[in-house]
Amino acid sequence: MAIHSKSYLQPEDYSKLADQFVPNSDKVLATSPYDSELGKNMARDARKVINGKLKIEDFHRVYSASLIKEFGDQYASGPTEPGRNSSTSAGTGPKWGMVIDLKKCVGCDTCTVSCKAENRTPPGMSYNVVLETIKGDYPNFSITNLPKPCMQCDNPPCVQVCPTRATYKMENGIVIIDNDRCIGCRYCMVACPYGSRSYDFGNSYEQEMVGYNDVTSPEYGIERGKRKKGAVPEETVRKCSFCYHRLQRGEEPACVETCIGDARYFGDMSDPNSVVSKLAASPRAFRLKEELGTKPRVVYLR
Amino acid sequence: MSTKANLANNMLTPEHKKRKLEKIYWISLFIVFGIGVYSIITGYFMQGMESTYLSNIVPWGGWIAFYIYFIGLSAGSFLLSTLVYGFGMEKFEKIGRAALLSAIVCMITGILFVFLDIGRPDHVMNAVIYWNVTSTMSWEIHFYIVYLILLVVELYFSMRNDLVKVAKSKNFKGKLSRFLIFNKQEYTDIDKGKDKKRLKIMGIIGIPLAIFGVHGGTGSIFAVLKAQPYLNSALFPLIFIISALVSGTALSIAIYVIKCKVKKQQADHSMIRSLGSMLALFIGIEIIMVWYEFLVGFYGLEHEEIGTLQLIMGSPYSWSFWIFQMGFALLFPLILLVIKKTRESINWILGASVMVLIGVVGVRFNMVIPTLIMPKIDGMPYGNYYMNLSEWLTSFGVIAMCLILYTIGEKLFPIDELDSHEKGVSKHE
Repeated sequence: MAIHSKSYLQPEDYSKLADQFVPNSDKVLATSPYDSELGKNMARDARKVINGKLKIEDFHRVYSASLIKEFGDQYASGPTEPGRNSSTSAGTGPKWGMVIDLKKCVGCDTCTVSCKAENRTPPGMSYNVVLETIKGDYPNFSITNLPKPCMQCDNPPCVQVCPTRATYKMENGIVIIDNDRCIGCRYCMVACPYGSRSYDFGNSYEQEMVGYNDVTSPEYGIERGKRKKGAVPEETVRKCSFCYHRLQRGEEPACVETCIGDARYFGDMSDPNSVVSKLAASPRAFRLKEELGTKPRVVYLR
Repeated sequence: MSTKANLANNMLTPEHKKRKLEKIYWISLFIVFGIGVYSIITGYFMQGMESTYLSNIVPWGGWIAFYIYFIGLSAGSFLLSTLVYGFGMEKFEKIGRAALLSAIVCMITGILFVFLDIGRPDHVMNAVIYWNVTSTMSWEIHFYIVYLILLVVELYFSMRNDLVKVAKSKNFKGKLSRFLIFNKQEYTDIDKGKDKKRLKIMGIIGIPLAIFGVHGGTGSIFAVLKAQPYLNSALFPLIFIISALVSGTALSIAIYVIKCKVKKQQADHSMIRSLGSMLALFIGIEIIMVWYEFLVGFYGLEHEEIGTLQLIMGSPYSWSFWIFQMGFALLFPLILLVIKKTRESINWILGASVMVLIGVVGVRFNMVIPTLIMPKIDGMPYGNYYMNLSEWLTSFGVIAMCLILYTIGEKLFPIDELDSHEKGVSKHE
């Protein structure tokens, strides 16, 4: 109908269209065993919180009591509970972790490509690689694909050795590099047991790809504009940051999002109910070079 | 300087020859230095680290090897000089100041090498400002500064009495000396006693500084890396220290003998012989340590460590291990210093020292590069690294700078003891 008309659809036309597919909220809520009014009120106030008219703390204060009454033990959120907005105070906030299911990995290297596209790493540098090892001889052999991002260790050897404290562990578990402080001594690269760090030799794809230098990835949330010869981060060490800039806007790391077999899981390891925590507790779970005591935050499922 | 004047009066032709030799020496050094500066500018400053053959797999290369080589030379020569100033072994007094000067110059050269290896020279002060207490490298940077200051002060006090003497002459050297001693007119016995005490204190402070701070510390930069099982052993810093002593002793012997030969002075045979036997002792200790390092390494059955050892001993680069490390740095000089005929001869001792000085370069390369070539995780590629032309030219330029600085130091300051020379010469004449 609208496709054939000359005029464009107006917003109210969209609402009319939507009314046909969106079920009536009252009817749906009536099927739930829980209080419908509470849900609707909370939805209304949640919109206020998003618009900035209501503080999240006030929202929790208003609803906490009724939520406990309604849901009892299952209610696990509240103003004192971890939330992304309260990550400034010590010890709270998510502790990011990744689980990679090697049984699901097909070795397609999509993660490597999407990482390269997302972080716009120069030639010769890749924050994520897939290591392929072949065991046995034909016809009795097996191939293991091991996708390898930065392990974001809890005891990072790279942080131990950095002479300038340019690389350090953040509260959310990510090991980051302050490229403005890094002197480019590459000691961390020698110290990393996983070979996860790369040095920016100042190469560029500009010759093959016009405009490559025009955009850089906002690593760690810092917009550096164009990639210029001799400007940071050139001649410093770079590494995977679990796509910190994407996390900041509520997105998953690029490799997790694009994985075709859903072999990668990403989430909050400090939350025992999160998918990653549950998977990390599985008997299939192992970490790379566990014996070194680096405590990686990337867990593999064998 | 009276010997020099005598030489000039009596033998014109040798003096003439000497001048010509000196000219060739200076010209060739400055050519190498000039090429080095050119390659630093075109490579390091204009292209950055891309001018090297370093990669993400082998992030440290020849410059780091040369850096630890020169740090080792410095720590070794300093420890030798403490025999004179810290422990009062006056037998070796003739090489005391030269050892201090070479320690200073080698330290500067080593620091320059590591500075060249830093990607962002504009950020380098961050390493001093933001001190990471868990980082051995950060400690090293601070230790190097303290150590360098200590060396300069110690050298100053060790030659103060001769500076006073030189200050009486009218030339540039005299002016410089007058400035350095703040116009002090006389060097009394009280001054002498005081300086001796100062030197002793500085020597004693310097020993732990050189062992723990400078060279053991440089060794622990490598030894603490658990990512590199070949380096990650408690013996490694000790091997560093002992090979520093080996190369430092060899350097002192070589400098002293070559200097005597060029100046046509009589060398002190008994001192050279005892230095030679010291060198043999240090080499012996190093062989013991290296043996156990490799033995324990093989029995560890750790895939990466054995792989590294195989790379060192059986790869296409293994000539650097068998010829340089085992041959030139350890076995050949040890044989020369043990056989009765050769250990008595100054020329053979000099030959052994020069061999050590060349061989230890190979030792340093084998400490840095093979362990990085070995992949850290199965499936990662092997590294491939050798120094390219730019790196070699830069290295030779910096080494030429080291020789230039040392020779200028020898020319400007009374590095040879003024009295002892006359004594030494008269003793043998």
